Amino acid sequence: MAAAAIGVLDTSHLNGGQKLAVKYYTVAIVLFVAQVLFGILAGLQFLYPDFLYGVLDFNVNRMVHINAMVVWMLMGFIGSVYWLLEDEAGTPVVGLKLGEIIFYVLTGAVAVVVLVYLFVQVGPGNDMTRWFINEGREYIEAPRWADIGIVVAVLTFFFNVVATVMKGRATGITGVLIADLLALFGLYLAGMFYTTNVSIDQYWWWWVIHLWVEATWEVLVGVIMAWALMTVLGTRRVVVQTWLYIEVALMFGSGILGLGHHYFWIGTPDYWFWIGGFFSALEPIPLVAMVVHAVYDSGAHKMRNSNHPTLGWVIAHAFGNFFGAGVWGFMHTLPQVNLYTHGTQWTTSHGHLAFFGAYATINIAMFYVAAQKLRGNVWMGAGIAGAWRWKWALFLLNAGMLTMTVALLASGYEQSFIERAIEGATWSGYFAGQSHPWFVQGMQWRMWGGWVMLLGLALLLWDLFTIGAGETRKAYSPSEDEAARTAA
Amino acid sequence: MIVEPVEVQDFLLAVIAGALIVLAGAVYALLFAISRIQGRPGLMPFAYAAYATLVGAVVFLARAAHFSGFWTFIAVLMLLGYLLAPHGVWRLCVGTHPEEVP
Amino acid sequence: MSAAPWWASENAWKKIAIWVTGLSLVVLIFLTFDSMQQITAGGKRVPDYSVINQRIDYRFDDVRKYQVPVIGPEAPLFGKKVSAEEAEALVAHGKKTFQGRNCINCHTILGNGAYYAPDLTKAWLDPAWGAEAARESLMIEFLKNPDQNARTFGTGRKMAHLRVTDEEAKALVAYLKWVSSIDTNGFPYNFKTIQQGG
Repeated sequence: MAAAAIGVLDTSHLNGGQKLAVKYYTVAIVLFVAQVLFGILAGLQFLYPDFLYGVLDFNVNRMVHINAMVVWMLMGFIGSVYWLLEDEAGTPVVGLKLGEIIFYVLTGAVAVVVLVYLFVQVGPGNDMTRWFINEGREYIEAPRWADIGIVVAVLTFFFNVVATVMKGRATGITGVLIADLLALFGLYLAGMFYTTNVSIDQYWWWWVIHLWVEATWEVLVGVIMAWALMTVLGTRRVVVQTWLYIEVALMFGSGILGLGHHYFWIGTPDYWFWIGGFFSALEPIPLVAMVVHAVYDSGAHKMRNSNHPTLGWVIAHAFGNFFGAGVWGFMHTLPQVNLYTHGTQWTTSHGHLAFFGAYATINIAMFYVAAQKLRGNVWMGAGIAGAWRWKWALFLLNAGMLTMTVALLASGYEQSFIERAIEGATWSGYFAGQSHPWFVQGMQWRMWGGWVMLLGLALLLWDLFTIGAGETRKAYSPSEDEAARTAA
Repeated sequence: MIVEPVEVQDFLLAVIAGALIVLAGAVYALLFAISRIQGRPGLMPFAYAAYATLVGAVVFLARAAHFSGFWTFIAVLMLLGYLLAPHGVWRLCVGTHPEEVP
Repeated sequence: MSAAPWWASENAWKKIAIWVTGLSLVVLIFLTFDSMQQITAGGKRVPDYSVINQRIDYRFDDVRKYQVPVIGPEAPLFGKKVSAEEAEALVAHGKKTFQGRNCINCHTILGNGAYYAPDLTKAWLDPAWGAEAARESLMIEFLKNPDQNARTFGTGRKMAHLRVTDEEAKALVAYLKWVSSIDTNGFPYNFKTIQQGG
């Protein structure tokens, strides 16, 4: 079999798992576009409330916005696992055909769910609605039939991973991966039941949301990063794996009981103030400490790497995670402050920067890893043709997000102050906050941030499909370089 | 009572103090690490100046948020944690990269 | 190349990671059992659904230093006292309607949800309903025809018309009345309530 030439877009450059990964990445990108578009519709409705009123009401746009986000991130993660699985286990993916079928089933199910969201939207207050239209719980709105479908799909995915690792080589990375996936999927079950008691409802709902976003997703990203550091920067396995374990200890150590900061106001006992406060105060410390590690590593490696856009997005991840989760998180997390900020645009500001910084960036970094390999491991270092595209996409997406975050923070501050602190959170207090000029200006600036992101996204898509085209140089290899330098 | 919310007039300064804790902690860690890896001891006083800013922010936040009892313990733990974590991580870095001590 | 010291070795950190995760989980599970017990409907923090037969208020507590729900004398919803089973069925219908109409993607409840519309935790006690006597019928009218009864306070933002039926509107009101009785540790803070009980 003749391999295609370097610089030519061709799946024959990939192994089986990677071909499937590219399919997952494609759907992830489509949903990323949907997330941004529906976010723009929802943002516009804050400024022009009559826009699409009665056609696509705010609750529909907002639901599609946040659901598209959750699913594109998960599909990106699943794709990344398929991407690295064969390399890591040293054997072709076991049961790949089944994985392929499940990919189409999952994608079809997502399409049906979204179409029902858009055209049926809501249903009567009975069990049928929850099973077939909309569960009506934030982030996990997917109706029950889809929940069950998702469980079946992820079990198949899980089977692919476990069977491949068992047949091939078990490493520290795959060990952490399997344990984390088990937790991630197990947690989903905590969101699959109905209860009338809203306190119990939200208690378990946070298990899914928090323990995904602030624990198991973080570790999954750690696994992907560990693998990417080995391939892109050429870091040695023993070092990468030791730090992966350190990260698991820190993330789970602070994240699992960090759940407490969601249990201040939902009816739960007040000892959660202490637990939530304690772990929230400690959560940023590992993040801050990692600054030391980053400086140490960049000093040791001089950042020689095989893929500049990927490294660019990994650096964006480091900053985004630090500011989004660390600074924006801690600012309003202590109950003495959170009493005012809970459930305001403050949360929106934090949520946007944290999700983007921690997760969107890593998926995009992996898209570039795939783009490089799809063109036969093409050169993606200095002097690549059309490099302005990835640089401007990186800049515009991050600048747009930062604009939104700061604008929402201004609105959130104003809302906390006027609605909560002064007016006491009544309806008239709420609307006094919403009509205040500062709030409205924040919403206007947020829109500008959204438009800039849309522009950056268009550029990103253009770049992903064209980067490396016509390039004939082979990618820089950190490990070969290391070997050459040692020999010399 | 377990918590006493910040006063309305302290609200803005309290959230700024919260942000400043994490930011100053990061600047301290950054200067600390650069000073060590590039062998520039002259940077160390600036690192500890950043830490001093952090101490100020913690003290301000603790007062504004009426910290007492267990909350005082958390504040002390934060001061120690932010101070020692960069040292600990530095030692871990050296320990896990035994062959490439700079 | 020398080996890493034991405290920086892969194996040591593998064990630490497992122990830290395990211990955190054990503590979380223990606290979850305790919390479940405390927030089961019928307890002190989350009252039984039949609380909709009584007046609910939200008053400052001198010991806890914030407002807490106060269960008052009998004040049946829609003027008709219901049994415990009927109350639970009514509130459940309200909760299912709340979910089925996707209320959470505009409103927050207990502070969680979306931020396009007011928080509903104490909606039952909101002074915007005017007089206590008119509250129930105003709420039902509003839920059934939000566009015609819009209270936008100058923002132009109207609730979507969700074709809520009469039965569903009543159930939603029951649900919101019950939610307002949950002890939320003083959230929302400094809330001003509707005048009740003359």
